[in-house]
Amino acid sequence: MRKALFLVPVALIAGAASAQIRVPLLAPRQPPAPVLVGIDALRADFQAHAGTDTVYFGAVNAQLGPPARAVLQAQALWLLQHPEVVVRIEGHGEVSDTRDHALAMGARRAEEVRTALVLMGVPTGQLTTMSWGKERPGPPRAVTVLVR
Amino acid sequence: MIRSIVHIPLAAAGLLLSAAASAAQPGTPAATVIAIPPITTPDTGVKGNEMLGLGWQATELIAADLRQTSEAMPLPPNRKDYYSYPEVTAPTFSKWRAAGAKALVTGFVQSRSDGRLTFGCYVYDVEKGRELGRKGFIVGGGDDWRRAAHKCSGLAYTAITGAPSMFDTRIAYVAESGAAASRVKRVAVMDSDGYNHSYLTAGDTIVLTPRMSPKGGRLAYVGFTAGKPQVRIVDLASSQQRSLLAGDSISFAPRYSPDGTKIVFSMMLGDNSDIYVAPATGGIPQRLTTSPGIDTDPSFSPDGSKIVFESDRGGSQQLYVMNADGSAQRRISFGGAWYAAPDWSPDGEWIAFTQRTTAGRRIGIMKPDGTGEKILTNGPADEGPSWAASSRELIFQRGAGNGSALFRLSLDGSEPRMMNIPQGGSDPDWSGVMD
Repeated sequence: MRKALFLVPVALIAGAASAQIRVPLLAPRQPPAPVLVGIDALRADFQAHAGTDTVYFGAVNAQLGPPARAVLQAQALWLLQHPEVVVRIEGHGEVSDTRDHALAMGARRAEEVRTALVLMGVPTGQLTTMSWGKERPGPPRAVTVLVR
Repeated sequence: MIRSIVHIPLAAAGLLLSAAASAAQPGTPAATVIAIPPITTPDTGVKGNEMLGLGWQATELIAADLRQTSEAMPLPPNRKDYYSYPEVTAPTFSKWRAAGAKALVTGFVQSRSDGRLTFGCYVYDVEKGRELGRKGFIVGGGDDWRRAAHKCSGLAYTAITGAPSMFDTRIAYVAESGAAASRVKRVAVMDSDGYNHSYLTAGDTIVLTPRMSPKGGRLAYVGFTAGKPQVRIVDLASSQQRSLLAGDSISFAPRYSPDGTKIVFSMMLGDNSDIYVAPATGGIPQRLTTSPGIDTDPSFSPDGSKIVFESDRGGSQQLYVMNADGSAQRRISFGGAWYAAPDWSPDGEWIAFTQRTTAGRRIGIMKPDGTGEKILTNGPADEGPSWAASSRELIFQRGAGNGSALFRLSLDGSEPRMMNIPQGGSDPDWSGVMD
């Protein structure tokens, strides 16, 4: 009984609302795609062509596996087509590591990516490296960030 | 800010409390009971009242200092135990013997015509009825009296233990706030009791591992100001900052040499982290290690002749000792776990470290030859131990939930105690005794 009593006013309100809105429903308008310019456009294009800006590593090592190499191959291709672009490769260590060893592991992972990209033909002038250590929690990884 | 303190001679011999030499007797408390009646003054009238008020604050601070230690057990100060100025140097020992005290601290505070204060401090062996030590200071206005009180606590602590005291020392650390992925980190310094807290960096870039110079005038740390981790130096008096090195290499893990003239640190060359030493004022770094592994976290022995560091050259993080010129490198840790972030104790006897196992990170100590390993904490996210000047206590960071806090740890096996700081904290560094 109590449930029915509650349902009645809800139905009344719903009816009142639909009575007031007599506008035919239109298909929702697609929001315009944001116009990306400069570095943002380049970043979007890099993401689209390379698939991802991030490669992952196993625990406590800086060795690139076949999936990571495939990603880097795509990144290298794009970088070769955009010789004006400079990237910063940001290496990350494990949160479970100690502070300074994590910094060195991050730097080592960034350097491993840099070396791989150089071997794939990317000029060294386009590549810089840095390490976040364990300051940005997440899996062991290196992220290729477009700087300019 | 460094507060001024001037030592004045009060001629006396430095002796050790007799109880300290002999081992604790069964049935007696391990800690030495100390009486600290309210510090008196020779001043009279309104000035006398003002000085007595200050003396009472100093008395309570001395008791609070000693209560923090495992070796001293201060009796709660009581205003009724007031004594006259002549009794500073002629205390009624029988009264304190009856109260169960083994040691007694007396003192006076006196106003000077130049607006500063004279502060005198005396420590007695109550059972033998003899003086163990005395110290005098001239301190400025404001809260400079706190340093004199800390020095007085230190005089009593050293008389009991024979070890240097850590009351008049400072702690530098990284103050942390905000979410893990966007944490705001600032270099902060404070007195070892948490007082006189200040921030040295603005929090606009990440900062890590502040390390004070031996005299406390400068501080080396790692900052991301240039877009990557690099060793930077800040002058504590002027707040001026600069990079240690001219190049744009990644550099980290700085520590001063005991004489303050050099800084030892890690630097990346390609994918290789090695240990270098450079003049503390900057200049050309000299390379000390050449292994292809990650060599980092160097720490000098107190005489400056050796360096303990961490290396994964053998496949896992382990501790190594070498001469200060990089020669005679040899591994000292063989406990089956990983060992990191060593810190050599001020008395040279121990090396504190972070032990890594699959169960997490814990704090431990071992002798410089690798023997006598003891694990002191349960983890699972304890890291970065730094010694107190006494070599009997450590400070470290403990991860909890989404952040981390600073803990003090006594070597006597008692539970670590969390320090009261305004926000989260990491990478603590405990200074030596300051003049």
